[in-house]
Amino acid sequence: MLKIDPASAQSAELAAQFKAAPFGPYSADLQKMLQLLRWGFARGRTIIVCTQPYKEWRLGRMGPQRGMKVEIDDSAEVFSDYGAAAWACFRARWQEVVGQPCPVK
Amino acid sequence: MSERILGYTDRLSAVPGDAVNFKISAPLAGKFKARLIRLICGDDSPEGPGFKAENIDSEIDGIYPARQQRIMAGSYVWVTARQPFDLLNFTVQAMIWPTLPGNGKPQAILGNYDAATGSGYALYVDETGCLAFRAGHNARSRPVSNCWGAIGTKSTRSSIPAPAASRIGHNMMLAYHGMAASRQPDRDAGRADRRGRPFPDRRLERRQVRDRPFQRQDRQPARLGRALKPAEVERLRELPLDVELAQYVVAAWDFSRGMSTVKVTDVSGNRYHGRTINLPTRAMTGWNWDPSDFSWQSKPDQYGAVHFHDDDLYDCGWRTDFTLTVPADLKSGIYCAHIWQKTRGWRQDRGLRPVLRAAGTRDRDGALSVPGADGELFSLMPTSRWSPAGGSMNLSSGKFATMGLVDQYLEEHESFGLSVYDEHTDGSGVCYSSHLRPILNMRPKTDLWQFNADTHLTDWLEKKKIPYDVITDDDLHAEGVECLRPYRCVMTGTHPEYYSKAMLDALQAFTNGGGRLMYMGANGFYWRIAYHAGMPGVIEHRRAEDGMRAWFSESGEYFMSFTGEMSGLWARNGRPPNMLVGNAFAAQGFVNAVPYHRTPESQDVRVSFMFEGIGAEEVIGDFGTVGGGAAGWEIDRADTQAGDAAPCADRGGGAPISRTPITG
Repeated sequence: MLKIDPASAQSAELAAQFKAAPFGPYSADLQKMLQLLRWGFARGRTIIVCTQPYKEWRLGRMGPQRGMKVEIDDSAEVFSDYGAAAWACFRARWQEVVGQPCPVK
Repeated sequence: MSERILGYTDRLSAVPGDAVNFKISAPLAGKFKARLIRLICGDDSPEGPGFKAENIDSEIDGIYPARQQRIMAGSYVWVTARQPFDLLNFTVQAMIWPTLPGNGKPQAILGNYDAATGSGYALYVDETGCLAFRAGHNARSRPVSNCWGAIGTKSTRSSIPAPAASRIGHNMMLAYHGMAASRQPDRDAGRADRRGRPFPDRRLERRQVRDRPFQRQDRQPARLGRALKPAEVERLRELPLDVELAQYVVAAWDFSRGMSTVKVTDVSGNRYHGRTINLPTRAMTGWNWDPSDFSWQSKPDQYGAVHFHDDDLYDCGWRTDFTLTVPADLKSGIYCAHIWQKTRGWRQDRGLRPVLRAAGTRDRDGALSVPGADGELFSLMPTSRWSPAGGSMNLSSGKFATMGLVDQYLEEHESFGLSVYDEHTDGSGVCYSSHLRPILNMRPKTDLWQFNADTHLTDWLEKKKIPYDVITDDDLHAEGVECLRPYRCVMTGTHPEYYSKAMLDALQAFTNGGGRLMYMGANGFYWRIAYHAGMPGVIEHRRAEDGMRAWFSESGEYFMSFTGEMSGLWARNGRPPNMLVGNAFAAQGFVNAVPYHRTPESQDVRVSFMFEGIGAEEVIGDFGTVGGGAAGWEIDRADTQAGDAAPCADRGGGAPISRTPITG
């Protein structure tokens, strides 16, 4: 089964690839990694919330069911660039999936 | 986040003389202003062509009193008989399939309990998941979830015993989610507001006792005029009613009758008929379904179940705030009402609900006629795709889940109705979707997907000064090929995915007759849907068998309740998209888009006219706001082995694909 090996140099390299080009094109291995980090139900995990159209994004989290407020950490970083928000979400999802911080800062 | 101005119209398409009623809910007290705009381009993104609209002088220009209008979601059966029951002793029986027992909300099965007065009775699943009966006293019993259960209670003057629940062993039955509620007439049944809805006290009662049901309920919830022995209850489980006991039956509702309607038939002979509210899902497999037949038309007695959901919504039923009678000189196009309210120094302003004017006029019988085209080209707006997708959150298509303002609003407000991409709160798929509700992403200045993406096409037509008229899927379904005949060319929207048989027949007849069809998207003509013959503004879809699906229909539930037709892929219904457009959906999920390159086949005289002005080696579509190219997120493929013609353009040595530069 496909997994992210946090100790692998290749995993760190793929993370660096994403940081350098968050909108791709992605290598085949990076696509597999992104499958693990992006697909599936969004509820309960870190997502990107656009707080001003085309201008401002933050990381947030949906509640356990519809009808509840979307959690946005107001003290967290505000992104004026969607690519930067995507990279921050990548790192957050890495932590959630792997259980360790992403080695690429 | 702040409340929004919400609204919808009672129709999506209108011709001169038609009246379009606008229904508005404004969050701020006071007034709101309205005006009509003709929308050219709804894309306000920095990379896009920019928002373009024309102000249109019309009768709707003005200031109106603001009010908030509520959405009452949740389906149930309303028994419309005005005569109340007056029984001292009775037995109630129903077959139910609870899907979310113990979710903290009471879920009614049958009753007329009035919380305000404490009168009446209710058989329900309570907040903790216990089967309960309320009639001045309470009694509870634990039901079994996700299986069919025969439940009942009997009430006598002297005692109210606990309701009984027994599991029906049925090896062929798959676990399914569902819910049900039914309502008995009572002394207040004649009191209702103008929409036939109960007064607020009854709504309160309904909310407490019945609004949160999560059971699939099979036919014949029966109420009997005396308390029965268990053996007698058993004898009345099936229809037709037991001859000897039928005389005691006050009401017995057979949900397998009138499957395509909102009617619920009382087969007791006492005429306690009812109707469904907010379209609970019908044509569902019943407790006695076996896989001997998959069509409810063949064995309706095995399809006596109705699946009720607390988030079902057909028609919000809002009051009309203003009406536009389409003037004769209004040019064909996409029109919206622009609504705004003043607040502290800035204005909330929202473009609301498009009205698409089809060319032509209506005769006295209401039939549409298209005497002469204003333009040579007909732009076919895929409203059957807008509505199914309407209100759906598209968060994670080839990217990290990203929630825009509309998505956030929908996430935080649970009662806006659902799209056929959604699941109900109990996890079952959504089969019906209506546009008689506010649909927040069927408006300009939203994501470039569906409606707003289609305005790139109108922008292009305007920019190129190509005369065109606009029609909707709803018109195509109702009018057929006749509404296309005056035109030499029909251009689809960016994502013409959901088609009824009448729509597909019309386009096929148009092309067979020499008409030109521009297929502007991918994933087109993919799913089979049905319109309701008597209820406007709603489509049905079942995600049968296979395909790229957000959810899947359960076995035995592939046939649509509206028409009896099998739903699912058109490819599984003998009409693959290849028959109409020479290619079909292949895959989705490509973040990066790439351009097309001409193939030698594009030099063929039969198609070369499409490439006039384009060099033989010229790249087509190496730019764009979505993925940076023409072919990307969803792609079709020409299958030459299946008889498709060789493609005229492909993705530079890759698999031949077709892709709009618009949808993304």
